[in-house]
Amino acid sequence: MAAQGRIVWVSGPAVRADGMSEAKMYETVTVGNAKLIGEVIRLTGDVAFIQVYESTSGLKPGEPVIGTGNPLSVLLGPGIIGQLYDGIQRPLRELSKASGSFIGRGITTTPVDMTKKYHFVPTVSVGDEVTGGDILGTVKETDLIDHSIMIPPDHPSRKISNIVSEGDYNLETEIATTEKDGQTTSLKMYHRWPVRKPRPIKSRYDPIVPLITGQRVIDTFFPIAKGGTASIPGAFGTGKTVTLHQIAKWADAQVVVYIGCGERGNEMTEVLVEFPLLKDPRSGKPLMDRTVLVANTSNMPVAAREASIYTGVTIAEYYRDMGMDVVLVADSTSRWAEALREMSGRLEEMPAEEGYPSYLASRLAEFYERAGRVRTIGSPDRDGSVTLIGAVSPSGGDFTEPVTTHTMRFIKTFWALDAKLAYSRHYPSINWMNSYSGYLADIAKWWEANVRKDWLSVRSEAYGILQREDTLKEIVRLLGPEALPDEEKLILEVARMIKIGFLQQNSFDDVDTFCSPEKQFKLMKLLVDFYNRGQQAIKEGATISDIRAMPIIGSVLKARMDVKDNEIPKLDQIDNDMQEQFKKIVGVKVTN
Amino acid sequence: MASNSSLEQAIDKILKKTEKEILLDLKNSGSDSKQTLDDSLPKLEQEYDKIISDGNKEADKIEKQIIGSSDLDVRNKKLLLLEEGVDKVFSKALDQIANTDRSGDYSNLIKTLLDEATKILGTTEVTVFTNTKDKDVVKSILSKYSGAKLSSETIDCLGGVIIKSKDGTMTFDNTIDARIERFKPLIRKEIASTFGVGN
Amino acid sequence: MTLEGGVQYSKIAEIKGPLVVVDDVDNAAFDELVEIETSQGEKRLGKVLEVGNGKAIVQVFEGTTGLSIAGTKAKFLGKVMEMPVSKAVLGRVFDGLGRPKDGLPDPIADKFVDINGEPMNPEQREYPKDFIQTGISVIDGLMTLVRGQKLPIFSGSGMSHNLLAAQIARQASVVGKQDDFAVVFAAIGVQYSEAEYFRRSLEESGALKRSVLFLNTADDPAIERIITPRVALTVAEYLAFDLGMHVLVIMTDMTNYCEALREISAAREEVPGRKGYPGYLYTDLSTIYERAGKLRGRKGSVTQVPILSMPSDDITHPIPDLTGYITEGQIVIGRDLFRQGIYPPINILMSLSRLMKDGIGEGSTRADHSEVANQVYDAYSRAQEVRALAGIVGKSGLTEIDLKYMDVGDVFEKEFLTQAIDENRTIEETLGILWKIVSKLPKNEITKIKDKYIDQYYKEE
Repeated sequence: MAAQGRIVWVSGPAVRADGMSEAKMYETVTVGNAKLIGEVIRLTGDVAFIQVYESTSGLKPGEPVIGTGNPLSVLLGPGIIGQLYDGIQRPLRELSKASGSFIGRGITTTPVDMTKKYHFVPTVSVGDEVTGGDILGTVKETDLIDHSIMIPPDHPSRKISNIVSEGDYNLETEIATTEKDGQTTSLKMYHRWPVRKPRPIKSRYDPIVPLITGQRVIDTFFPIAKGGTASIPGAFGTGKTVTLHQIAKWADAQVVVYIGCGERGNEMTEVLVEFPLLKDPRSGKPLMDRTVLVANTSNMPVAAREASIYTGVTIAEYYRDMGMDVVLVADSTSRWAEALREMSGRLEEMPAEEGYPSYLASRLAEFYERAGRVRTIGSPDRDGSVTLIGAVSPSGGDFTEPVTTHTMRFIKTFWALDAKLAYSRHYPSINWMNSYSGYLADIAKWWEANVRKDWLSVRSEAYGILQREDTLKEIVRLLGPEALPDEEKLILEVARMIKIGFLQQNSFDDVDTFCSPEKQFKLMKLLVDFYNRGQQAIKEGATISDIRAMPIIGSVLKARMDVKDNEIPKLDQIDNDMQEQFKKIVGVKVTN
Repeated sequence: MASNSSLEQAIDKILKKTEKEILLDLKNSGSDSKQTLDDSLPKLEQEYDKIISDGNKEADKIEKQIIGSSDLDVRNKKLLLLEEGVDKVFSKALDQIANTDRSGDYSNLIKTLLDEATKILGTTEVTVFTNTKDKDVVKSILSKYSGAKLSSETIDCLGGVIIKSKDGTMTFDNTIDARIERFKPLIRKEIASTFGVGN
Repeated sequence: MTLEGGVQYSKIAEIKGPLVVVDDVDNAAFDELVEIETSQGEKRLGKVLEVGNGKAIVQVFEGTTGLSIAGTKAKFLGKVMEMPVSKAVLGRVFDGLGRPKDGLPDPIADKFVDINGEPMNPEQREYPKDFIQTGISVIDGLMTLVRGQKLPIFSGSGMSHNLLAAQIARQASVVGKQDDFAVVFAAIGVQYSEAEYFRRSLEESGALKRSVLFLNTADDPAIERIITPRVALTVAEYLAFDLGMHVLVIMTDMTNYCEALREISAAREEVPGRKGYPGYLYTDLSTIYERAGKLRGRKGSVTQVPILSMPSDDITHPIPDLTGYITEGQIVIGRDLFRQGIYPPINILMSLSRLMKDGIGEGSTRADHSEVANQVYDAYSRAQEVRALAGIVGKSGLTEIDLKYMDVGDVFEKEFLTQAIDENRTIEETLGILWKIVSKLPKNEITKIKDKYIDQYYKEE
């Protein structure tokens, strides 16, 4: 029996309705004559507190509220890839057919095209014993995605009593039935799953494989592992969104879920315009063929913003369950936290720091806990991962505010964006002194096995130069650079070269936008070699001016843009030239 | 006079030298002043151009301003004229309404107004106000509304009713005046379009 | 929204700050427009902030001064606040609530539009990329404005942001296009003289007949400021998306808007966020700023240049901070440059246009634009570091190359940044000066420009 109540109170996205004793927590309800979508978030007596996912302008006490009996869920099946959804999985393209350029209210659509036919290849037969998570067959969703049709996770162990033969079917076709003790269940190519409930897994692995993003400062200095968690906090203008777009473009994952949570509309438009034109560097197919977008922009209803994070992560888990590596990017978790704060305020809950509810930390923890590299349930055996990357928009760029500090407790990689770097147009403005990665030791093995044995030691040398520069900068600030001996001036010089030639990366340059692991290593090695040869040369009598005047510096600094990923030998040539030039400056000194 | 002549020679020499210097000076100053003149000519020209162009700019500005504001003036006069027309139409219409015959269909109108008003207030337990002209019509149909009573106070309006809940906290104005006021923007639009102005 | 409305209630429970709480209300809707009548018969407008359990909380735009518990009546009008729009609003002056202020009649409406607007469907947006030439070198060269962008000016009290905004309004054009354009100007709690300066500036450039002005000046009711940007944007959207015009919206000063919002929040006794501003300030501001944009399949555009004064010149103050998170960049006016008498005193290092990358380059400005701009940013940032260092160790402690950067800083400020208030430079002139600055550096220092452009444009002195 679905609840049927009446509105008694309206304030913004918050509505109270009485006569709701039948309603369940987190049940979806339709609100008012306009049939707006809402969710029950508190029950007191027969009064339900409802957050409404659409504008409540014009809603009146006395209008009806009707329960649906179901918790807020997403539809999972082929057709999700390439979509742009709002926070509650309504496809924005379909919404525009109903309400034009602006988003209207009370529109219902299905998240995917239920009539589109997919070529289904069954992998089970009648009589097979199956259970939740088992794969029934596959369909080709996009050029990049082989979509496994899985039995819903909560389905009990049963026998297949019927399965369709290979052929083209739409989502509403019954493709299989299972049977036990005379009870038959019908299975289609899709099922629904409540967004607030993590999809079950068999077991977890330690994240040891790096997620290659093609961004040097990330992959080399502050890497993230597949199945790991990262946070990227930064004041406005520090290039948060550009960095996240770069990860969404170039990360070596099979599926990318990008959540625009309370951010700018044009940023989602940019992804929509750009991604279909960009090619995945590994497969050569359009990036849109592996991307799902969830957009609840800042001016869209605030409650749906709260839901968007869960909608996104549930979709990510679904593709993980097929055995894929999925990256989820959430921009920005701060806006999600603000949505929590706003609803909490309307519920008149006791506020904790800066008005955020006391459960902010536990909600953040629950969210990041949904990341992981896992053995999925069901057969055949599959390993998949969900990597969670959350942007944080600290007010005033202050990293001590609640969302940043709580987030730091639950993530292992921290990319601290720095306004000062951004002001000097050092992009990505990831501060190398404040950032960290907890995966470095684990993923070093991958680099050593796949790129170069001495990866970790070269990386440490490069990072060491940056650390020493940081200390020297204090002295320079007091005494000027001329007060330093040449050995230390060289540290400053090479640190500058590392910043310009390695840490900085131009995402708008065709070559520089993505940097392969091999090229990353070689560029870093060039810089470290330059440093070591420079120190040697100074010992042998060369001066810092001699070194500064070396023409090779220009080639080293521009190599990131000049040398394409398939022209790595050019870097060896630069290395040779560098050696020659060092010989020359030392030679000059000797003959003098 | 050797000494003299030598003196003279010396003087001569000095004079000549001076003369030379003076000549040179003169020459120099001549070329200098020519140089200055040459130099200043383009400057002068620039200055001149600047004055002219500033003048032009100013003139341009004034021209734009004049054209712009005279365009606007014309438009605004039109708007005022239109409004005058609208007002005339309105007052004529209001006159007609005020003098409508209170028999026949008119009681239906009052009934509709009363129905609407009581429905919106959600009760028929109301006090009804109307003007002297409509008083009889209202009184004749008020018996159909249980609990409704006609106030002895009359109000100043074209016609129609104001109803008030018994406790006096809720009022609904359903006079013809109020209704016209509510629809005035739409009516104005219609009148304007009959004048062929639209927007 | 069509609602039954028109019932007047006279049981006032409470009046606090800008709010009136009406009791025994059983027929009011959230967001509904309310007409408050004082005991003297004066009428004011408001809207429903919260309704239920027989109470309605009404926010009164014109303030509650002079209202009394007895004698005050509230009529619920059965509709949300609407603005009548038509082409005839051009050349008109309205008050902060959208009522005529020029002695002319109400505009004959083509239609009545909910001033809150509806969120644009991100899928229906067209990504902005048409370069707007403002003729101001520092903007065109380093923080390019494009049609459909929202690019605020962050300023401080007493600085020349109004001159700048007016210059943008006068000079903005898209090269090679003669499209219909309009200016919508919203004065939000600014002094009369500032509003008048804009009006005159538009008049002198002949643009007044293509402008719509909404004026809420310092002496007008504070709560009205909540409405002013919304009526202005409603008109802008109509001009852009119904009539196909390219509309530049200038709103000044958004700080006053936020203060009005804070006043309401305080009166409602809400849990405050930072500095007493409500926790939903970000969301609220986004419903204003996100109304900039372009739509697929429609001709016009809404470009916003909001102006806000940063309290104590503090960019981390919640108002500029939250604005910066929503807008597509920011133009920051620098106090130091202003004190030096430089116009326009724009601090380029703190300024940024996020949409610049898509508005410039081959086909719109020039292929080398992005790279030369990056190099100048880099060089000016170095110049600032060197200047700071020189302040401590003196010029003698500087290297030869440091001195070159000092020179770059001077040339940048004197020749590129500095510009007369009626000087309209072409993009070619602007790029020319950028190359002049880059050419002050030895080639070895030029790390952000491809060799082919260096060969083409670099001119050693």
